[in-house]
Amino acid sequence: MLLENLRTALSALFENRLRSLLTLLGVVIGVFAVTATVSLGEIATAGITSEIQEFGSQSLFVQRVFDDPDSERFTDDDVEALSRLPIQILRQQSTRVTAVVDDVRESVTVNGTTPDAPEVDRSIELAQGRYFDERDAARAAAVIVLSADARQELFEDEPDPVGREILLEARGARTTYTVIGVKEPIGGALGTFANDISGDVPLEAFYRDIPGVPRGEYDFLPISIDLDRDAGAVEDQVRSILDRRRPPDSYQIQTVEGALSLFDTITVILQALLGGIGAISLLVGGIGILNIMLVSVTERTREIGLRKALGATPRTILQQFLIEAVVLTVIGGTIGVALSLVTLWGIVQLVPFLDVFVINPWVVGMAFLVSVLTGVVFGVWPARRAASLSPIEALRYE
Amino acid sequence: MTAEEEASGSTPVIEARGLRKIYRLGADVEVHALRGLDLEVLAGEYAAIMGPSGSGKSTLLQILGCLDAPSEGSYRLAGEEVADLSEERLSQVRNHRIGFVFQAYNLLARSSALDNVALPLMYRGLGPRARRATATEALERVGLADRLHHKPNELSGGQKQRVAIARALATEPDILLADEPTGNLDSRTGQEILALFGALHAEGRTILMVTHEQEVAEHTERIIHIRDGVVESSEVVAQRRRPSVGDAAESRAGAAHDATGWGR
Repeated sequence: MLLENLRTALSALFENRLRSLLTLLGVVIGVFAVTATVSLGEIATAGITSEIQEFGSQSLFVQRVFDDPDSERFTDDDVEALSRLPIQILRQQSTRVTAVVDDVRESVTVNGTTPDAPEVDRSIELAQGRYFDERDAARAAAVIVLSADARQELFEDEPDPVGREILLEARGARTTYTVIGVKEPIGGALGTFANDISGDVPLEAFYRDIPGVPRGEYDFLPISIDLDRDAGAVEDQVRSILDRRRPPDSYQIQTVEGALSLFDTITVILQALLGGIGAISLLVGGIGILNIMLVSVTERTREIGLRKALGATPRTILQQFLIEAVVLTVIGGTIGVALSLVTLWGIVQLVPFLDVFVINPWVVGMAFLVSVLTGVVFGVWPARRAASLSPIEALRYE
Repeated sequence: MTAEEEASGSTPVIEARGLRKIYRLGADVEVHALRGLDLEVLAGEYAAIMGPSGSGKSTLLQILGCLDAPSEGSYRLAGEEVADLSEERLSQVRNHRIGFVFQAYNLLARSSALDNVALPLMYRGLGPRARRATATEALERVGLADRLHHKPNELSGGQKQRVAIARALATEPDILLADEPTGNLDSRTGQEILALFGALHAEGRTILMVTHEQEVAEHTERIIHIRDGVVESSEVVAQRRRPSVGDAAESRAGAAHDATGWGR
């Protein structure tokens, strides 16, 4: 009878193609909605986390307390004292100037820095030209390496601004700088939202051409820790050296680990949010499936009455509807999962900052299981109700 | 017991005592469709049930066909009290003993004539091949040999009714119950259906038919009048043609087939 019923169920599904397809669609959408939304959220979270780790671990950022006028700048002596540690320190000063190219005037942050900046700040990569070298630094050459955003603002669509000249105006001083390189945009999700209109120049040129900047004093010190060292231990050492040289609360150390732990909180909130969205989509998808199963099976009350009148036992009828529901929901669920995998994969390929393709098997499993269960329960329940009626009551059903 | 044995013994195949059926429409509206009805039908009888609309004739037929249960009273089918039957056994009775022809045909709309007729055979446990053969035979019998694979919406009303009859016949039931089998048909098609019933009766089947047309009822041997949920009168209109002798039944069946041209 089981085999016979399987045949009956399949032919019932096939003979009522439209109804079967619509039911199938309900299940597909239910599973797809849950899997896709939750997984998309997880992919985004994973993308951002991996990026922060990529740029950030093994770096420190030491800065004076800007709100506190008594908090002194760091000096060359501080830098000297710290150099004993397995770290590289970037001597860097920044200020805002006005850059002029033809008739474009743009406010630009100019960083006076050293030629080893690309090694210390691992996020720097060049798209065009070169970074300034020791020789440029030694002769305080008036050369500038633009950020991607600055290049965009100053030269718009010009394919290769290397070799072009920029007039920098700062506190009455005007100097012409030559563009020698352009940086890559800051990668990923962080870069997408950051607006970094800046240019790097040799530190000596910075002191010469921008008046009023004290030489050998720094508001902040970007530090890169050697890759084989423990970041936490080095941070403690930095702290103990600085504590001997300055009042304890006159500076702050920011670490990417710190940023990450902040981000962890965000991630937890994000995941709670995703869980909520998942639960809601599961509910919505489930109700969709419930609805279509309930309607399509209730609509068949007359058919059930007829089958009973012709000698089908309630058990046989339930078996047929169970098989139909299982076949529909399992096929629908599989299509839904496949569709969401393909869609997510496509999104990861297309959206640049989503570079990690993660699929949580729990999410897929839950979506699939809940959909199948909902479909089966609400496919069999109305059939059971109809099969418990006398044939004539079922046949009379409108 | 086969139909033949029952017929020759003249035992009542249907024995209803004090049947009541109450439909509850809403909270406090009750419709008494049957009010203590008694009825006996002998094996091999061909009878018409007549009565004004609302008299309870369809309700009676449905109860006799085990499609609905009476609210009160006893119904014995071939000696078995139907109320005592389990759901499983009841399905078996519906499948083996009873062929029911609905006024509205009640065919599966998306299945072919052949599949519709084969459906009760599947519930009987017949294999696909046997089902096909038996269903084809039944459809040939009602003159639809060339419509096996047509779906109901490709058939005329008379053809649909004949598919429904073929479905009722395919299981070789003892009792054929028909609710207004000619009600939706033009008179010529109606005559054809009645001729088919005559032939089936001649084979020894017990046939009960609900109708409101005197002319249709006169094709039977006995007319049972129902009014207000009880039997008002029961008159024998024709000599009971007892198919006690096999040869006689054969020849009658043959004659009926010749008359309608369905015997080919």
